[in-house]
Amino acid sequence: MRGAAAAALALGLLAAVPVLTGRSAVLNWLFLVLLHAGIAQSWNLLAGFGGQVNLGHAAFFGLGAVVARILWLDGAAVPWALFAGVAAAGAAGLLIGAPSLRLRGAYFAIGTLALAEILRITFANAMPEVSALSAAQLGDYALAPRYYLALLLAAGTTTVAWGFSASRFGLGLAAIREDEDVAAAIGIPTFRQKLLALLASTVFAGLAGGVFAYYHLSFYPSFAFSPIWTFDALIITFLGGVGTVWGPVVGAAFFILVREALALRLAELHLLIFGVLFVLVVVAFPGGLMQAGAALGRRLGAPARPAQRPQQG
Amino acid sequence: MLAVAGLCKAFGGVRAVWDVSFAVAPGEILGLIGPNGSGKTTVFNLVAGALAADAGTITLDGRSITRLTPDRRNALGIARTYQHVRCLPHLSTTDNVAVAGLYGARPAASTGAARRAARALLERVGLGWAGGVPAGRLTVAERKRLEVARALATHPRLLLLDEPLAGLNPAEAAAALDLFARIRDEGTTLMIVEHNVGAVRSICGRVVVLNSGEKIAEGAPEAVLADARVMEVYLGERAPA
Repeated sequence: MRGAAAAALALGLLAAVPVLTGRSAVLNWLFLVLLHAGIAQSWNLLAGFGGQVNLGHAAFFGLGAVVARILWLDGAAVPWALFAGVAAAGAAGLLIGAPSLRLRGAYFAIGTLALAEILRITFANAMPEVSALSAAQLGDYALAPRYYLALLLAAGTTTVAWGFSASRFGLGLAAIREDEDVAAAIGIPTFRQKLLALLASTVFAGLAGGVFAYYHLSFYPSFAFSPIWTFDALIITFLGGVGTVWGPVVGAAFFILVREALALRLAELHLLIFGVLFVLVVVAFPGGLMQAGAALGRRLGAPARPAQRPQQG
Repeated sequence: MLAVAGLCKAFGGVRAVWDVSFAVAPGEILGLIGPNGSGKTTVFNLVAGALAADAGTITLDGRSITRLTPDRRNALGIARTYQHVRCLPHLSTTDNVAVAGLYGARPAASTGAARRAARALLERVGLGWAGGVPAGRLTVAERKRLEVARALATHPRLLLLDEPLAGLNPAEAAAALDLFARIRDEGTTLMIVEHNVGAVRSICGRVVVLNSGEKIAEGAPEAVLADARVMEVYLGERAPA
């Protein structure tokens, strides 16, 4: 309950930001954090909670972005454009998941990786022109609605993650992640659960893409399919804590803070730094910042008494 | 309740299980014995659905389950443990059992109810103290008991136990046998793969003997263990006089 209260408070504060400040630097920065929290959390839904590693998350982000962008620039209302992007991403998720999630091993990871690259190359050839807003649209451009959409995205994905962590479905997913044979042997319909989690993951990735498309003044359609969207989501999730509810949110704030600070001074060097950080986290703190924070909390507070084996008689 | 007819499974050119037929009666404890590599675990995998049969049929209460996935078979009341123990290592011991209670043949109404039932089951197998511990931290002997609790949480009518006594000391083995007898008395039918002949003799009403994937004997433990072919399989041929 304390967690829910804290989350509601944070949500209220974030919702009040556009009212309190007109500074676009602050809103832009928070927008980036929320967008990245949303895409990382959407990746976390399947990979973190269900153990199914999606290496082509950019495919679903990109579909959401490109479909929403085309319809929006064509004159469709923003909610409809976003919805169409979400539907396209979810449909693509079902299409790739239906065959590959029946198999064990690397098929799903390789299938999604291939899908993203195929789409990236296809869109680079089919739509080579940059997609830019018209002068009229530039005149109407306001940051606040984009910001609220990103907030909705981050809050929505995190609410679903919280639902996963506290429910029968989520425990079933965790069992699949831990040992899929055992999961099936205790009655969990493993394929159906993995496919549903993939659907949730890709739908939110599509929404994140739509928010990105609504935000950017101009971008090349193929950029929305860049592997960077997959690997930023992955790194953010691992930095924050894979398989946790708040890991991707904490990770996104940390990631954007460090990236923006470094990019000002060191250009592309942040990529190298995140590579090293990623390795450090995986080796030393597999639970990410969430685990590090919990460990620190235990160090400061009273140590919990570990469970004791009864003495052998 | 369970009937297996003409079951076959080959791995490449190796006939792991060949034309095996047997039946399990409700309320009995059936032992499945045989030397290493005789196909006992493969039979378990075929019955539980972890492997698909090449030929033959498996019926549960007259209904064919030959083509069902393992989760469907578990929902119909077949649960199992593993020869090489398998737990959900990063979940707490309680959640290992609770998740089984949320699925299985009679899913619990809520996660809270499943966790309460899980704690009672852990208490029953002597792991009451370990509820909050990640299952991966338990010893092998403790994980064996955890597997039994997890299987029971799915409300099985037929429980398949694969070498449940291996690696236990005599006191632990005696406690385990006692537990299995009580599980049977409460109405669950048991099928046990076990090498410990003393245990098989004491608890199994009937045994089926496999050798090289084929059934070579079936009957009461005393009679079967005295059978010449069974002796030969275990001890080798009698030296010519």
